[in-house]
Amino acid sequence: MKRFAVVIALAVMGFFCLSGIGFSQAIENEFYLITPVSKDVHDPALKAFAAFVKKKYNVDLKTSAMPQGTPVAYGQIVEWKGKPQADVFWGGEGTLFDLLADQGLLDKVAIPKAMWDEIPATIGKPIGLPLKDPKGYWVGTTLEPYGLIYQPTLLKRLGVEIKGWDDLLNPKLKGQIAQCTPDRSSSSHASYEVILAMYGWEKGWDWLTKLAANTGIFTARSRDVPSVVSKGEFAVGVAVPSYMAFAEVLGGYDVMFVYPKNAYVTPEPMAVLKGAPHPKAAHAFVEFLLTEEGQRIFMERGLYPITPKYKVQGAPGSNAEKAVQFTAGIRSFYDIPVGNVYDPKVAGEKKRNEEVNAYFRKEIAEKHKELIKK
Amino acid sequence: MNEGTAVALPKPSVWSEMKIGGILGYAAIWAFFIIFLIYPLIRLFYDSFTTEAGIFTLANFQDFFTDAFYLKSLMNSMLLGVGTVITTSIIGIAIAFLLLRYDFPGRGLFSYLTIIPMIMPPLVGVMGFVFIMGRAGTVNIILQDYFGLQHPINFMYGLHGVLLVETLHLFPLMTLSIVDAMGKISPSLDEAAESVGSRGLRKFRDITFPLTTPGYVSGALLVFIWTFADFATPLVVGISDLLASQAYLNIVQFVDRRLFKMGIVISAIMVILAILFLIIAKKYVSIKDYSSLSYSVIERKKLSPLAQAGAIAFLAFILILAFIPYLGLALDSFGRGWALTPFPVKYTLQYFERVAIETPKFIINSLLYSGISVVICIAVGVPIAWVMSRTRLPGRGVLDSLTTLILALPGTGIGIAYMRAFRDPLPFMTTALIGMWIVIPVVLAVRRLPYTVRGTFASLLIVHRSFEEAAESVGATKARTFKDVTLPLIWKGVLVGSLYSFILALQEASATLLLVIPGHEMMTVGIFNFYIGGSVNEAAALGFILIILGAACLFIINRMAGSKMGGVFG
Repeated sequence: MKRFAVVIALAVMGFFCLSGIGFSQAIENEFYLITPVSKDVHDPALKAFAAFVKKKYNVDLKTSAMPQGTPVAYGQIVEWKGKPQADVFWGGEGTLFDLLADQGLLDKVAIPKAMWDEIPATIGKPIGLPLKDPKGYWVGTTLEPYGLIYQPTLLKRLGVEIKGWDDLLNPKLKGQIAQCTPDRSSSSHASYEVILAMYGWEKGWDWLTKLAANTGIFTARSRDVPSVVSKGEFAVGVAVPSYMAFAEVLGGYDVMFVYPKNAYVTPEPMAVLKGAPHPKAAHAFVEFLLTEEGQRIFMERGLYPITPKYKVQGAPGSNAEKAVQFTAGIRSFYDIPVGNVYDPKVAGEKKRNEEVNAYFRKEIAEKHKELIKK
Repeated sequence: MNEGTAVALPKPSVWSEMKIGGILGYAAIWAFFIIFLIYPLIRLFYDSFTTEAGIFTLANFQDFFTDAFYLKSLMNSMLLGVGTVITTSIIGIAIAFLLLRYDFPGRGLFSYLTIIPMIMPPLVGVMGFVFIMGRAGTVNIILQDYFGLQHPINFMYGLHGVLLVETLHLFPLMTLSIVDAMGKISPSLDEAAESVGSRGLRKFRDITFPLTTPGYVSGALLVFIWTFADFATPLVVGISDLLASQAYLNIVQFVDRRLFKMGIVISAIMVILAILFLIIAKKYVSIKDYSSLSYSVIERKKLSPLAQAGAIAFLAFILILAFIPYLGLALDSFGRGWALTPFPVKYTLQYFERVAIETPKFIINSLLYSGISVVICIAVGVPIAWVMSRTRLPGRGVLDSLTTLILALPGTGIGIAYMRAFRDPLPFMTTALIGMWIVIPVVLAVRRLPYTVRGTFASLLIVHRSFEEAAESVGATKARTFKDVTLPLIWKGVLVGSLYSFILALQEASATLLLVIPGHEMMTVGIFNFYIGGSVNEAAALGFILIILGAACLFIINRMAGSKMGGVFG
């Protein structure tokens, strides 16, 4: 018994000692990303970055991503209190990045000045959406509309066409719409704000309630929306980032994308977290994505260049060309009129954010079962 | 808390008999329980009864019990749990009776196949169902394309869908518990009853029912808790007004501190409820019931040809339903761009390539962490079983209760408790435990410990004390006796228990999902990440591999343990 017990005691204690010594040290050949940008894009971006690091520094870079919705990622970073387990935060709305910068949780972006200056300050009319932080704490990486996705076969069967927002309220679409709740997805939240800005608070909620009456599923994650539409479980998805929709096309599914008027366009901001375990890799990553090589990764995946310098173009049949067809001919957001009514000053307020979520929860989520019966 | 010591009646000699090493070992076991089970739970309760500033308050609970939405979630969770217990009871008991009492062709095969549905990692089960029975699933598409159905039948989206998935996943737990309990009824009791004229219902009421109740109650408790704690299945079918879903959703968002706090409170409520259920069921699920453990050979009745056909048809029907998710997963993991056709049109191996060859870390981490957790399970669990069956050490009753408690604890609750308890570095350590990968195998070990303990305990009871006494009488030390006499006799039981711990560790995805560390994802976490990342096919492929691994382990258990395999669940 004696020896046996000692062995057990040692084994149990050994675990803790071992873990304490061996795994607390950070090494610069690692890089961790926390991002709401889904695997469809962050995976190739990380792979290309690792290849770039290998070529330039001859270092085998181990990369990993924590896929989290924007609000979750934001909360996680606040929770880390300046001791982050990730290096770079990528994606979502600029306003959240401003909040993080205010709390002193971000490092300033360190990229060449020419690169910084190439990026326009804002996009969209009448209200310009910022594409970079004037104080330099975050920078936009790509342009990405939150639009509508549909399954053409199902729509034809239902005898419905989708061109803009109001087509979603067609009674024939009852139970056919998929959307994510605005409190769990920033793309959904931003789209709700667009509707509220277009129609005003009262009429806007009226519209959104009608949308809920047509909604068959409120998914817990925004990425589920294009998934269920591409499978044909539901016919139309709302507030879907263009690249998520395009990823379904690349995956072999038959879906189409609509960029409705005034839909929110995000620059997918990126920032280096203060106290990042691997700061050098972090800053190198930001710079890499803004080079032509980095921008090409986006252009082949249903996203648009952040500067007017590049256009989505490729050989016939290439993914880049497929992406252009998929969005009915858009090659750059600097070629087309971009309407924007979303006001970051209004929608960015924390109080407003909670107000919208609370209203949604009370008047839509809790009453959804009754709404769909109408 | 003193119940254990009271039972053990500590004589002064208990301690003096023990060597220093033994005391240290016993202390180590207790340290393990205190650090990795008791402390996190206390921390969870502490957090739920205090404000952010650390002042005692009941306001959190008041918020919960005055919020109509949370009350509805609580109600729904209870209804779902009870509903699942009812449906699994009907199916599980029917199958147990058929397999145990009657003989018909294919009985052996069926007894293996009917436990397979237990191997169903969270999320992929419901995914598989949706592929076949969803609005655009195979069944609805066939009905629409060939039978003129206008609107798809809604099999999945709603509480009934969750009930369907849980029932077909969990009925084997019920079957195993009943098989185990009925296996312990000596046929002589049956004969005795019949000889005095007690037959049919009367016999069932007087003999079968009371003797199988303990097994049934513990099976029912497991099914209830499992359903109660599952947050992944409801989310896939668009249901979020359940306690586990609310706990999970509130915790994984950090923006709204109030919601975050509610997540902690909901977890605490789930743990409290689990403890309550356990206390109610305690007199049935205590490990001590195994004192009557003796498996007897049951004489099986031969069924008439018609009844045979009926039995086979019933089992086949249940199995076809239960195997739907496997079919859906297999199709989706090999099929490319599958939408609105009964079966995929194009097939590919690319998804397997991506999850197994390009990023082998999921499989490697899963095997590694589950492996380590089983080592911990054995290192902690075998001594516990030994202490409980061979010593009268004070506190062993409490150990028994704690081990049983683990079975009843919802994984979400443990995960959140760990998040709160280990967010600051422990003494003598520089990094917080939740930032280190070792926390994953540790939490897996804690959650799956009961299976190892029970497997070992059951086999220790069969080894008669006199064997060991004989060895000791000729001068062997306790350790030597254990090594030369006890171990060779119980290793099968230990192995079976450990394999169960292993299978279930492989499939764990509630605590680990909350505690995952970047770069150290396991298969279940990979499934979840692929799924929420929109790569449904990859998730299916990873799930498929996990199921194959599980089925292989189960096959080994089946070969080694035969009918005894229910023991670990009892």
